[in-house]
Amino acid sequence: MIRITSRWRNTLAVALTGVSLFSVAAASAAEITVWCWDPNFNGATMEEAFSRYKAIHPDDTIKVEIFEKAAMEQKLQAQLASGATDGLPDIVLIEDYRAQKYLQSFPSSFEPLTSHVDYSTFAPYKVELATLNGQTYSIPFDSGVTGYFYRSDLLAEAGITPDQLNDITWDQLIEIGKTVKEKTGLPLLPIDPTSSDWIRIMLQSAGSWYFDADGNVTIKDNPVFKAAVETYQRLMTAGITTPVSGWTEYTGSFTSGKTPSTFSGVWMTATIKANADQSGKWGVAPSPRLDGVEGAGNASNLGGSSWYVLSSAPEKEKAIDFLTSIWAKDVDFYQKILVNQGALGTYLPAREGEAFKASDEFFGGEPVWQNFSTWLAAIPAVNYGIFTEEADTATVAQIPAITSGGNVDEIIAAIDAQVRQQIQ
Amino acid sequence: MSNPIALIGRAGTYLLLSLAAFVSIFPFFWMVVGASNTSADIIRGKGTPGGALWDNIVKFVNSFDMVRVLFNSFLLAGLGTVLTLLVASMAGYGFEMFRSRFREKVFGGLLLMLSIPFAALMIPLFMLMAQLKIINTYQAVLLPSIASIFIIFYFRQATKAFPSELRDAAKIDGLKEWQIFLYVYMPVMRSTYAAATIIVFMANWNSYLWPLIVLQTNEMKTLTLAVATLAAGYTPDFGVIMVGAIAATLPTLIIFFLLQRRFVEGMLGAVK
Amino acid sequence: MAQSALARSERINGWLFVMPALVLLGIFMVYPILWSLWMSFQVGRGMNFSFGGTANIMRLTQDPVFLRALSNTMLFLAMQVPIMLVLALFFANALNDSKLWGRGFFRTAIFLPCVTSLVAYSVIFKSIFAIDGIANQTLLVLHLIENPINWLSDPFWARVVVITAITWRWTGYNMIFYLAAMQNIDRSIYEAARIDGVPAWARFWFITVPLLKPVILFTSVISTIGTLQLFDEVNLLTQGGPSDATLTLSLYIYNLSFRFMPSFGYAATVSYVIVILVGILSLIQFIVAKDRRA
Repeated sequence: MIRITSRWRNTLAVALTGVSLFSVAAASAAEITVWCWDPNFNGATMEEAFSRYKAIHPDDTIKVEIFEKAAMEQKLQAQLASGATDGLPDIVLIEDYRAQKYLQSFPSSFEPLTSHVDYSTFAPYKVELATLNGQTYSIPFDSGVTGYFYRSDLLAEAGITPDQLNDITWDQLIEIGKTVKEKTGLPLLPIDPTSSDWIRIMLQSAGSWYFDADGNVTIKDNPVFKAAVETYQRLMTAGITTPVSGWTEYTGSFTSGKTPSTFSGVWMTATIKANADQSGKWGVAPSPRLDGVEGAGNASNLGGSSWYVLSSAPEKEKAIDFLTSIWAKDVDFYQKILVNQGALGTYLPAREGEAFKASDEFFGGEPVWQNFSTWLAAIPAVNYGIFTEEADTATVAQIPAITSGGNVDEIIAAIDAQVRQQIQ
Repeated sequence: MSNPIALIGRAGTYLLLSLAAFVSIFPFFWMVVGASNTSADIIRGKGTPGGALWDNIVKFVNSFDMVRVLFNSFLLAGLGTVLTLLVASMAGYGFEMFRSRFREKVFGGLLLMLSIPFAALMIPLFMLMAQLKIINTYQAVLLPSIASIFIIFYFRQATKAFPSELRDAAKIDGLKEWQIFLYVYMPVMRSTYAAATIIVFMANWNSYLWPLIVLQTNEMKTLTLAVATLAAGYTPDFGVIMVGAIAATLPTLIIFFLLQRRFVEGMLGAVK
Repeated sequence: MAQSALARSERINGWLFVMPALVLLGIFMVYPILWSLWMSFQVGRGMNFSFGGTANIMRLTQDPVFLRALSNTMLFLAMQVPIMLVLALFFANALNDSKLWGRGFFRTAIFLPCVTSLVAYSVIFKSIFAIDGIANQTLLVLHLIENPINWLSDPFWARVVVITAITWRWTGYNMIFYLAAMQNIDRSIYEAARIDGVPAWARFWFITVPLLKPVILFTSVISTIGTLQLFDEVNLLTQGGPSDATLTLSLYIYNLSFRFMPSFGYAATVSYVIVILVGILSLIQFIVAKDRRA
């Protein structure tokens, strides 16, 4: 390791602070700093949580710093890698898919919370993915329980009723798509060919992943993976999808009625409800299940994230006290963020609250939150492992081959080979 | 003048320039249209002006401490530009005017340094800043950018057009080297300085990755960082983003428009 | 005696002028570079790494993703840099004409793309090249194509879009350097040539281009470095897809460091591939340009 000799360093430090005309003083005490990436969603829920904590601890303050998600991850990772803890926050939000990557890449950077939290009160799949060597590190936040969001008015034009969407397989959905295309001319689904989201949804719906519980690659000889790729191919070659590129075009497609439906995590609800003029015209069904696969169900997950406390946090004790006394205790808080931010927490006792049972006029008076909660409880727990991004990249690289009707076995062999090469 | 071939050539030039101008302005125009629409309309692909411009501007101005953010941006970009021009033009002059075999090797080394992707240097640079205890300060942003190899290289290449007779004449008049640099070189090279000002100001103003990593608090954020956070989240407000994008573009554009006039006067005409 | 005093003063001045830059670079570049060189010999993930000797170099030769990124990057370089520099030179020459009407407007317009914010730029480019976007609509109306093109999900067209996007963004930028350099050309040379009946194209080719040689060399070296480090456009428009058709070395470095289980050592090794490529290509460019003071 190359280091500047300490004498040099001190001289430089003195010289540089000498010219530090504009440097800003260090943060004052008892202020909890949080990094997250959505001012209207996770940022807003954090503010709400703290306002409840402040009622008991009036001297403490919170500072929620919002970044664009990829930027925040890059910043966090660069700082953790540098080993310098200056300026790191007390609490940071991490997407569940990346949790193990952070925990294993930067050992002892995150604080285990096992002794502070009763994890039996949280959805088991959320707890599992933040657990390493018997220690759990997160306060689980939102769920990515999946749903099939559809425009009930547009599907009704094709004679499709909500009952026909309940408890179905992907192949039944493809048939529905063909009917819709025939009757209304609309492609059923917008699909981003640079994203593996739907393959991930299919894998987890049958309790499978790119890797098994021990982290071994399970791609080539995995019947679920094969079924997922085949289903995806049938979906893409049935003429019922339209390609979109990126978030804006994707969300624009179904909010403008160019496509009448999509699959996504429950967090998509807020984006859909932002179109107030479409109130009463939407419905949510559970996501379809894979045909002919053992263990295939109608519940899956896409995204979701959790809060982590940094070991170096200047206000570590305070941060843990705050998280445990609100996020792991306050049922009423979860009702509030469900109503205001559309955030579906994974704290199980919260499901008994009023807001979870309420019906939603936007979705035709259905009790959507209760439905999502039911599906949430059925999400199979899988180990995302540390190489999900590598496996995703290898899968996405083969999507053009899948879409153009290529041989599934060859495609899967190619994905398998690339993943093994990349993670060696 | 009335040569038909020359006329056709002229018409062709105008045609091509107009086409290029159209292609260049079109996305900017789209941005302005976007700034006048609501986010939902933009997502749905509406391409005509809407009535939400004022709302979007108000939301944008209230998104963060605008005075502080603008102060940070102008301070960093302004001071950074002045210091970079000074240090880099001196170095460019030095490398070109006083050639030695050793300095040529140093210069070649600099060009190789320029080609190392910043992603590879970011982490150790952050370690260095932490050791110097200057994380989250203006100097942490400025210091690594002042000695811009890119601009040193530019000044060196531009200096090749500097007539060495001018320097010889100044020497005979008894001017010291720094006086020659200040009173002869700088005025003669002013179109080069103008171009470098535009480039360096733009680079500093838009600088994103390093400030993102080394600046920690909202009080230190620049406009570029602040505008980038507008795009955060599942439901970003694209109308406000477009207003932010325009606001982030204007200062560089104004500087360009003012300085491009410098490209009209012939340098040598002014010296003779 | 006088000679050696002069030589000494030249030598001192030579160092004095370059010293502020060298001191700053010595502090803020040399340490990070040594660290990254040292890292390029480390293997392992995250912060658990150990010395691996040439293991990373061996890994390069067996990594199909790296080889794809390398060939894509070279393709972008070969296609895009010449087109962009020729365009920039053409625009600069046209806009250097003091009799041209609307000079300031055209210059500002062509410069505009490189200041347009990246966030807006990606939203706009994606909507232009969407399946029902304006690019397809225009081509359909003109009957140049039968069916809409899947711009961003077809490997060939995605590359075309990326090349178009880089050219669009950086042509005006390079134009500035040429415009500035053209001010340093003595106008009387042109007058003499015009009186002698030398046509415009020949004045451009035999007077302007040779006199701009140092700056043309500068822009070609800088553009080579810029394209070898190409990141923003592909990250925003295609994320390297489809089928890795637009994956660049810089995007791969980013993935290795920040998206994947971090391999900082291997990422550093890939970075030095770029350095070596720049070294070779710049040397060729300097030799071709015969950059010697007459």
